[in-house]
Amino acid sequence: MKQKPRVAVFDFADCEGCELEIADLEEEVLDLIEIVDIVSFREVMKDHSDDYDIAIVEGSIMRPMDEKRLRSIRNHAKILIALGACATMGGVNKIRNQWMPEDVKKEVYGTADLKGNELFDVFQTKALNEVVPVDYYIYGCPIDRDEFKSVITAIALGKKPEIPRYPVCVECKKNENICQFELGSFCLGPITRAGCKAICPTHNSPCEGCRGLIKKADTECVKEVLDRYKLSYEDIRRRCTMYNYGRKECSYDE
Amino acid sequence: MKQQVKTITKKDFSTFVNTLIKDGTYEVIGVQAKGKRFAFDTLSSAGDLRLDYDVTILPPKKYFLPQYEMLLKFSLQKPFEGKETLLDAPRIIIGVHPYDLIALEQTDRHYLDQQQDNFYKKRRENTLLIGVDIQSVSERSFAASMNTNTTDTGFDLLLTDIGANYAVTIGTEKGEKILKKYATVKDATSTDLNKIKTARNTVLKKYKQKVKIDKKDWSSLLVANYDHAIWEERADVCMECSSCTMVCPTCFCYDVKEDVSLNLKQGNRIRTWDGCMLKDFTKVGSGEVFRDEVKERYRHRFFRKGNYLPERYGFVACVGCGRCGIACLPDIADPCNLINELAHFNSESDTGKYFIKEDNEVLEKGIIHLPRSATIKKVTKCNELDSLFEIELDDKKPLGHKPGQFVEVSLYGYGEAPFGISTPPGNTPVFEIMVRQVGNVTKKLCSLQPGDKVGIRGPLGNGFDMKTLEGKTLLFTSGGTGMVPMRSLINHVLNPKERNKFKDIIILYGAKRPKEITFMDDVDRWKKIHDVQCELTVDKCEPSECWGGCTGLITTLFPKIQADKLDSKNTIAVVIGPPVMYKFVIKCLQTLGIPDDNIYVSLERRMKCGVAKCGHCQINGVYVCKEGPVFNYGQLKQLPEAL
Ligand SMILES: Cc1cc2nc3c(=O)[nH]c(=O)nc-3n(C[C@H](O)[C@H](O)[C@H](O)COP(=O)(O)OP(=O)(O)OC[C@H]3O[C@@H](n4cnc5c(N)ncnc54)[C@H](O)[C@@H]3O)c2cc1C
Ligand code: SF4
Ligand code: SF4
Ligand code: SF4
Ligand code: SF4
Ligand code: SF4
Ligand code: FES
Repeated sequence: MKQKPRVAVFDFADCEGCELEIADLEEEVLDLIEIVDIVSFREVMKDHSDDYDIAIVEGSIMRPMDEKRLRSIRNHAKILIALGACATMGGVNKIRNQWMPEDVKKEVYGTADLKGNELFDVFQTKALNEVVPVDYYIYGCPIDRDEFKSVITAIALGKKPEIPRYPVCVECKKNENICQFELGSFCLGPITRAGCKAICPTHNSPCEGCRGLIKKADTECVKEVLDRYKLSYEDIRRRCTMYNYGRKECSYDE
Repeated sequence: MKQQVKTITKKDFSTFVNTLIKDGTYEVIGVQAKGKRFAFDTLSSAGDLRLDYDVTILPPKKYFLPQYEMLLKFSLQKPFEGKETLLDAPRIIIGVHPYDLIALEQTDRHYLDQQQDNFYKKRRENTLLIGVDIQSVSERSFAASMNTNTTDTGFDLLLTDIGANYAVTIGTEKGEKILKKYATVKDATSTDLNKIKTARNTVLKKYKQKVKIDKKDWSSLLVANYDHAIWEERADVCMECSSCTMVCPTCFCYDVKEDVSLNLKQGNRIRTWDGCMLKDFTKVGSGEVFRDEVKERYRHRFFRKGNYLPERYGFVACVGCGRCGIACLPDIADPCNLINELAHFNSESDTGKYFIKEDNEVLEKGIIHLPRSATIKKVTKCNELDSLFEIELDDKKPLGHKPGQFVEVSLYGYGEAPFGISTPPGNTPVFEIMVRQVGNVTKKLCSLQPGDKVGIRGPLGNGFDMKTLEGKTLLFTSGGTGMVPMRSLINHVLNPKERNKFKDIIILYGAKRPKEITFMDDVDRWKKIHDVQCELTVDKCEPSECWGGCTGLITTLFPKIQADKLDSKNTIAVVIGPPVMYKFVIKCLQTLGIPDDNIYVSLERRMKCGVAKCGHCQINGVYVCKEGPVFNYGQLKQLPEAL
């Protein structure tokens, strides 16, 4: 039999929620290790190896030392997969990009002397693809386990993974939800990439856009809907800050 | 036929429903409240039924064409073990409104045609429909204008609230039987019958939304306004979310996906709702999107409802439920509103039809989703991208195709893709296809070896009607992979048994680069035949490439045609190539004096089902997979979306 691809999982600035989703595959972890060898996965195992084919990377890049480490991962890996909102687009970590790094440090650490400490040497948050080329994206905060599986099986079979390029509303409608707008709430579903099975509106809470915007927030159609529901551009801008700060939209083919 | 009407007290009706639930023979489904709206769901008690509802969020189509439905289960270890998984649990759905009953009858026309969908059929057969006359009118509904507020057909039983009792109209024997078995009913008196009429009339007055144009006139109104600015104006505020198609009872297009288990041992082929408002709906492997502009998609949806399906089936494919009006955030999806707006611009002209009627014989009847197993016999790599495959059907039955037809090739775990058949018809299970690598299925196919298994559905599509070519001079023009089906046609007419039916033959063939010329052996053979003129060109040629022939686009070959050979009125021209080629080549043919009705083309569109169900391949009102891929240009030019 052909040798199984060797997989390593890494994390940067994040909450490890996406890694947890992988760890939570439970019995299916056995299926996973039937098709790949996991050689490094800090959250669940002690071993570590630098000999891997596929790197699954979670988290955002905040510091020069992160950048260096990510480059080295990229050099080792044939395939690099960005895992979760933090890695694919910066996610919540980009909220901080509203302010200058120096001001943020002052706000958080006050007058403490951080000079020369590279752990605190932060720049504006970056997604992985702002530093190195990324081969595959698994969106979401956290990721959807089924989508993770479908991306992994696609790669194992040599296919291009199918990531939806249509909005969350499609899945939301299939779930027969009452639209959040009808309930007087404000939802980013119409401009957010589907693939999460519209989990938020299905549990009666509006979409926050964690899988990335597929339409600009300032297009005519969005304005029309905002007008109709007596919302302003400021409302949507604020709403997009959570996951999409500084990002206009994902490209159609990303 | 006069329908029997019974009455049942409301209390007895509850008992009837509760008995059905307890009995367990059927899964009992009924309308229930969902927040401040309504939905069909499995019923646990008659008390949860809300027969006074206005409209459900989703129509009952979800029980016949579910959001996600497993079509096949396959194994990736033992290739070509695929099994259909039909649902056979019997169901009763209680509380379906007349417009939704009518929508199901419309869906029947589409899914139960000659190429029947066995999944849909089984679900229809196993489901009993208990309709209910509308009591509350949804704010956006215009069913009264569509004549779908009441119905005499489409139900097994129909309830009408007549005060203390329900009147029960019996629609079918199945309905009658279940009533006999589980309910206590009385015959309806003439007073009861009058009460039904009164109940319906009272509701009729509640409709706020009215369409100004009679539904039989929608078709011509739309045609007259095909190029109206309204499409673009409204598309500007469209979110491309396809909510309008998801919630619509008469939208039934679908996509098919492969779902593979994490251990790569088995998988399912899943069909799921797709929507023509989504950009990817018409996207093909090369990256081209046939309805790229939102305006085109937005217009397509209305034309499908008001013109394409009416021309095909004789009904307007909108039943006025108003769901799309509720679902569309910018509120541009409601046909009532759109038609009324267009009514202002009603102009007389209604030239142009967007539908080609053609009754094809259907070769493969019955199972439409399950591929036949076949074995790859030979693989010949033609160049970096193209490979030629010789395939044999494992049941050893002849493929039985006509030139111009195609097959759907299935690779479990990867999907399905259509390919033209490149060998001439013959009494054999062996045939050839040429595959160019562009995406998942094609790349995987090109990695397969002799002995590997693939699945085959088909032959599909219409193919060439050879009779129309008889007695004529034949001018074949092909570009790129267009040579694949063309080769089948050429070798068929060159077959000694067939040859004398046709006059001279001219073959023009263009490829991008010398190395992309396929079937060079055939070309060399054709060149040697005395009454065949065969000319080749390549768009471009690097100095490193060895090419002694002509360079330039395919159109540069036309001056080489020996004009004396060409009795243009008695010439049939066949053109197959990439989409960009057609316009230019057709112009050359017209310059040669060949009438439009003598020109045949074969078109490519995104395909999934290949049997006129999934909707992907539509050019205006035409299903390329069924009415095509071969079209007469004289007819085709009526279709603005074609070339
Ligand atoms: C009538 C007909 C005849 C064809 N004949 C040939 C041929 O002889 N040789 C050849 O190499 N190609 C042919 N094609 C094109 C071929 O079908 C596509 O290249 C192929 O479907 C791409 O599949 P994929 O999975 O590799 O690509 P992906 O981009 O991964 O496509 C995913 C799916 O979309 C659909 N799709 C994508 N592109 C097309 C397309 N161009 N046409 C229809 N469906 C598409 C298929 O269902 C496909 O599985 C033909 C297409 C049609 C419609
Ligand atoms: S994407 Fe969300 S869940 Fe995943 S690591 Fe980042 S914050 Fe956590
Ligand atoms: S709730 Fe959100 S995702 Fe769902 S249909 Fe409404 S806008 Fe779209
Ligand atoms: S609904 Fe929106 S916020 Fe929720 S998981 Fe999906 S994309 Fe993320
Ligand atoms: S087009 Fe709209 S109103 Fe007409 S049937 Fe569909 S959802 Fe109902
Ligand atoms: S018409 Fe409305 S519902 Fe339909 S795709 Fe456009 S915005 Fe969505
Ligand atoms: S309708 Fe499905 S491919 Fe034509």
